[in-house]
Amino acid sequence: MIMLRKLLLVTFMFMFVAQSLAAQVYLTRNGTIRFFSEAPLENIEAVNRQVNSALNVENGEFVFRLPMRSFSFEKALMQEHFNDNFVESHKYPNASFQGEIPDMDVLDLTSGEEIDVVVQGELTIKDVTKPIRETGTLRMEDDTIHGKAVFIVKPEAYNIRIPNRYTRNIASEIEVSVDVTLSPQ
Amino acid sequence: MKTWKIILVAIAILGIIAALIVWFFVYNKPHPDFIGAEPDMELPAEQLYLDFIDDEQLANDTYIDKVLQIQGEIADVEQVDDMVILSFVFQDGMFGGEGVRCTIHESFHEEALSLEVGSVVTVKGYCTGFTGSDVIIEHASFP
Repeated sequence: MIMLRKLLLVTFMFMFVAQSLAAQVYLTRNGTIRFFSEAPLENIEAVNRQVNSALNVENGEFVFRLPMRSFSFEKALMQEHFNDNFVESHKYPNASFQGEIPDMDVLDLTSGEEIDVVVQGELTIKDVTKPIRETGTLRMEDDTIHGKAVFIVKPEAYNIRIPNRYTRNIASEIEVSVDVTLSPQ
Repeated sequence: MKTWKIILVAIAILGIIAALIVWFFVYNKPHPDFIGAEPDMELPAEQLYLDFIDDEQLANDTYIDKVLQIQGEIADVEQVDDMVILSFVFQDGMFGGEGVRCTIHESFHEEALSLEVGSVVTVKGYCTGFTGSDVIIEHASFP
């Protein structure tokens, strides 16, 4: 029942952002999220280019959602471990963020310059939801908004258990980069 | 003494061979061949989309991590950076036309871009999930 409620919540959060003020919503279906793990034995990087994201420039609401299986790794074995053992993407197929960019109403995107912003909200991975607050940038170019943010995720905070034998292969803090090019709805 | 040396050398050689096998076939094993793979399921693209709309959790269990062969009418073929995406659209939503989005494998880009909107096509690829607006098929090819 809780799972169903979360599914409905995530499904409708995009609609909520859109309904706030349809003309002011910027969207992408091919945002990029990368993560990078730096550990003594190896560095691991993965990229996901199937990120749905929406930004309401009127009130700053910002959401994204992505299928976990769309993370692509250089090595097939890493990708297999990531999906089957760590994030258990068969049980938890999506990750999502629902939050806002405070002070959006006072930002002047029309200048075309890169503007530092704060991004805050709730990140959900493996059905575990945690508050996050990080810095990012927004830049408007022609009709599109380029948004970038980097934040640190601790796997254990999201119930991602790294077995002891992998502690020298996988960092305890993972750098997650969000890169979206949003177009008007 | 000589026998022991031979045994130790043999063990060392076997150990090196075992390490190389693990290195090449486990640690560096190739990604699955989605182009050559037999589809796990064949169905209309519309049914795939509607199944996710009707019961996302059931559709997740049924389709994710499977090679699907789907058929439908092309709504759009677009180039997004270095990706080519072929779309089947079944509903208007917040993101515009929503349905099934197939990221085409690079060896089929040319063929995909030559297809006409409105023509019926069969696409095979790996289902990674549902984004809230679209079912995602990756490593897609034309069987």
